[in-house]
Amino acid sequence: MLRRFRLEEPESVAEVAELLGRFGDNAKVYAGGTELLLAMKEGLVQYERLINIKKLGLNQVSAENGTLKIGALCTHHELENSALLKQRMPALVKLEQNVANVRVRQAGTIGGNLCFAEPHADPGTLLMALGAKMVADKGASKREILAEHFFVDAYETSLAADEVLTEIRVPTAGANRKCAYLKFGYLERPSVGVAIALSLNGVVSDVRIAVGCAGPAPIRVAEAEALLNGKSKDEASRNLAQAGAIAGKASQAISDLHGAQDYKEHIVGVLLKRAFQAAVS
Amino acid sequence: MQFEKQVEILAPREKVWKFIWDVDRFIACVPGCKEAKTLEEGKRYAATMTERVGPFKVEFPTTIEVLEREELTHIKAQATGADNKIGSRMKIDLDVNLRAQDNNTILSFVAGVDILGKLAALGHGIIKRKADQVLDEFAQAVKQKLEGEA
Repeated sequence: MLRRFRLEEPESVAEVAELLGRFGDNAKVYAGGTELLLAMKEGLVQYERLINIKKLGLNQVSAENGTLKIGALCTHHELENSALLKQRMPALVKLEQNVANVRVRQAGTIGGNLCFAEPHADPGTLLMALGAKMVADKGASKREILAEHFFVDAYETSLAADEVLTEIRVPTAGANRKCAYLKFGYLERPSVGVAIALSLNGVVSDVRIAVGCAGPAPIRVAEAEALLNGKSKDEASRNLAQAGAIAGKASQAISDLHGAQDYKEHIVGVLLKRAFQAAVS
Repeated sequence: MQFEKQVEILAPREKVWKFIWDVDRFIACVPGCKEAKTLEEGKRYAATMTERVGPFKVEFPTTIEVLEREELTHIKAQATGADNKIGSRMKIDLDVNLRAQDNNTILSFVAGVDILGKLAALGHGIIKRKADQVLDEFAQAVKQKLEGEA
């Protein structure tokens, strides 16, 4: 049962930051509520105050100076139907089409998903491969956090206690920039997710590989990227088994209901091969 | 969940043994443990264990019972606690062994940790990882505390 709480409805980011600073652990930002309210109903977390930020707008997608700007309050449903994303970032659209189920996609927001940092969430992994930056705002000041520095651990991000995630900035891909995200699982949430982004200009370059869901938080695997960078497509393909094995180990896979550690590590390798093929084909 | 840890402490066994029974100093080495008190010297102790994974916080008022004690070599203890706010319980069966090696001590312990109730919804893997981290920090804290005093 949901315990009583006070609902704050601030109208600016500065007010949200002030409330977060004032009430600390007793208050939590409330966006779509698809994960937060479940945890509260279960009694796993209790807050005296929820700070409803839905009045702040923040649900636009726009393109500006080579960057896609995604408002943190965009629902998964809005993103999977965004004409701009369909044109500029189809991999993210495909991912959003497959997040959880239709009820979650209708209410859940991209920002809420990232901030809750549930280990089996999809978007963080692809955004990491895409080189996305999170805008952490406290009204008076704001800063950008690279996706690979945003996720600290399971359910933990590098947002300060009085910061709000307001926007996700993704560099827009040129014609030669390719990316793919693949996931695998047999329960509602994925066991493993792998994302790759790369440039293809005769050789494979600027490779970014991220692995998520297997471990406590998405992680970028520079050592696996190095095996593909500067190689021809065929050479890179030949190195995929080794890159996959490295990415599997780097994923910090945890044995749980979604699969044993060695199984998840193996699946990381399989998905990396397939994601590379999907990206370059 | 079973955990095995071993740490070499650059201090003689007598000193390590004495440290273990100095409740306030020993408890200070257990991450998230506070308000330790002796209920019955050498037999029963109470403390509050707190831990968090992201926004999920638990606070277990815990009773620690010493089941076996072999001077300078072995302690068997059981810690049990419940967090009624979250509706979760925990039980830790602890086997601690001390072995002298030259003038140093090998401290090893086996901990069987059971977490029951709603907290388990976080997933076995996440809880296991957290428990492993806590036990590692504990072993290192004991080592540092004792070696710092040398």
